[in-house]
Amino acid sequence: MRSTGERIAEFAAGTLTAIVFIILYAPLIIGVLFSVVQIRQGRILWETFSVSPYVTLWSNQSVLSALSNTAIVALASVVIASVLAILLALYTEWEGAIGRRFIELVIYLPFLLPPIVTGLSLLVSSAQLGINRGLLTIVVGHTVFVLAVAYRLVLTRLQALPKSLVEASFDLGAGRWQTLRYVLMPHLASAVMTGAVLALTLSFDETLISTFVAGDQMTLPLRLWAMMRVGFTPEINALVTLVLLVSIAFALIAAWRLRPKGEVEED
Amino acid sequence: MAGRLSRWLVFAGVAAIPLLLVVAPIGTFLAISMFRAEKHIMNYTPTVANYAEFFGNWTYFGTYLGTILLCFQVMALSILIGYPMAWFIWRQKGSRRYYLLLLAVVPLFMSYIVKLYTLRSMLGLNGLISQMLIGIGILEKPSQIFLFNQRAVLITMAVIYMPFVILPIFLALERIPRSLLQASFDLGASGWDTFRRIVLPLSLPGTIAGALFTFVLALGDFITPQMVGGTTGFTIGRVIYSQFGLAYNWPFGAAMAAVLFLTALAGIVLAGIAMSRQKI
Repeated sequence: MRSTGERIAEFAAGTLTAIVFIILYAPLIIGVLFSVVQIRQGRILWETFSVSPYVTLWSNQSVLSALSNTAIVALASVVIASVLAILLALYTEWEGAIGRRFIELVIYLPFLLPPIVTGLSLLVSSAQLGINRGLLTIVVGHTVFVLAVAYRLVLTRLQALPKSLVEASFDLGAGRWQTLRYVLMPHLASAVMTGAVLALTLSFDETLISTFVAGDQMTLPLRLWAMMRVGFTPEINALVTLVLLVSIAFALIAAWRLRPKGEVEED
Repeated sequence: MAGRLSRWLVFAGVAAIPLLLVVAPIGTFLAISMFRAEKHIMNYTPTVANYAEFFGNWTYFGTYLGTILLCFQVMALSILIGYPMAWFIWRQKGSRRYYLLLLAVVPLFMSYIVKLYTLRSMLGLNGLISQMLIGIGILEKPSQIFLFNQRAVLITMAVIYMPFVILPIFLALERIPRSLLQASFDLGASGWDTFRRIVLPLSLPGTIAGALFTFVLALGDFITPQMVGGTTGFTIGRVIYSQFGLAYNWPFGAAMAAVLFLTALAGIVLAGIAMSRQKI
């Protein structure tokens, strides 16, 4: 029952979507291709096919140390952000809470503001406090950045829980701690996990805040940037491919956990 | 109910960490902007000299205004391309719609630096864009016109921030009840009329919010202009970053960042207002 006009509009929008998708996924396509074959004058030399760049990557000390830094930063900031998120969400949902709007604003601010503001404010304040830039400052930067995501997911879950759940727990004689441990936490666990996966993905790629607070420490994006400045080798493309695949895998896990459930087909 | 004092104590305990990690650093950099760096030595007498220098020197203030203009262009270009994409995805049915949305959102999580380098090589002398234009006969020989200028920054930012526009527009479209579209169809409205009088007005708040987020993202980006902007693609983010690097004048950089901070805050507040106007 679609008119010709609608069909034309849909075709045009579909074509546009396809073109933009190709551009958006070009990094992955180029990375995969250039990591295994060489290209001369726009022609792919299939006979040069080799996976050795992936192997040499494992003996590149600077890449490995950047990888371990990234892992340490991601794990530390995600764990701290998750614990803070639970604490803050429990607080803002508590009816005796004061300054609820203010706390929420402070949580969302580093996520909404340009990363340059977060980055340089942490740089300036750590310098004033005499703290040397390094892994600690990167962890702080990533924690405040990913906190908003973790908090939002925990809060949404908490708001969806019936109030009677907590009341029943108190009526049955459970204390505050027992209620948190045995009633609330099991319900919050999956939201915390989803938040953690999203936060991990964000931390893994975070570049703009890290630039300010990293000092002489290198995370994977910073190392990649430094390598790319020099020029492109199959080894860099291999690293690019691995980095992209890891972030896409994280993103897909998060998407799968957040997928709409029990959707009713319309029309 | 807990007493007033104990409520304040709990507040202090809970708020301590966010205050320490977010509010205190922002406060510190705002405070630093009121001092002067004289030959790399800090002079802690409060002054507005940094702000006077920023607003009085066209090199800086002009760059700031140019950045605002660039951000509006990024916003416009993103909507022009992102709206039809979100609309197309929204028109699909069932799981196909979900997978297309996923395809649109996943690039958000792909490495920022890698995206920049790929776009740079595509826009470059022997890049895809040049080759395509030669292919269809618009250009005669490879051209550098797409790289190392403001246009390159505009295109690159629009591409990188595209998912940020598509997602809110899609979410706004998805909230429109099917019954409204059905009613419009039953009353004899054409597809175009339904779009113009129902779909577009109802999705406008989400679209504006998405556009403003893109604006804020583009505003503070300092790596994109550095990578594809060359000497003419200077933005305020890049100028601020240089004050914390080579130029090494933290108070002056902090003053410019304070202006950027307020501009971004205005964008965020406007986006919040737009979202609260969402009628459905």
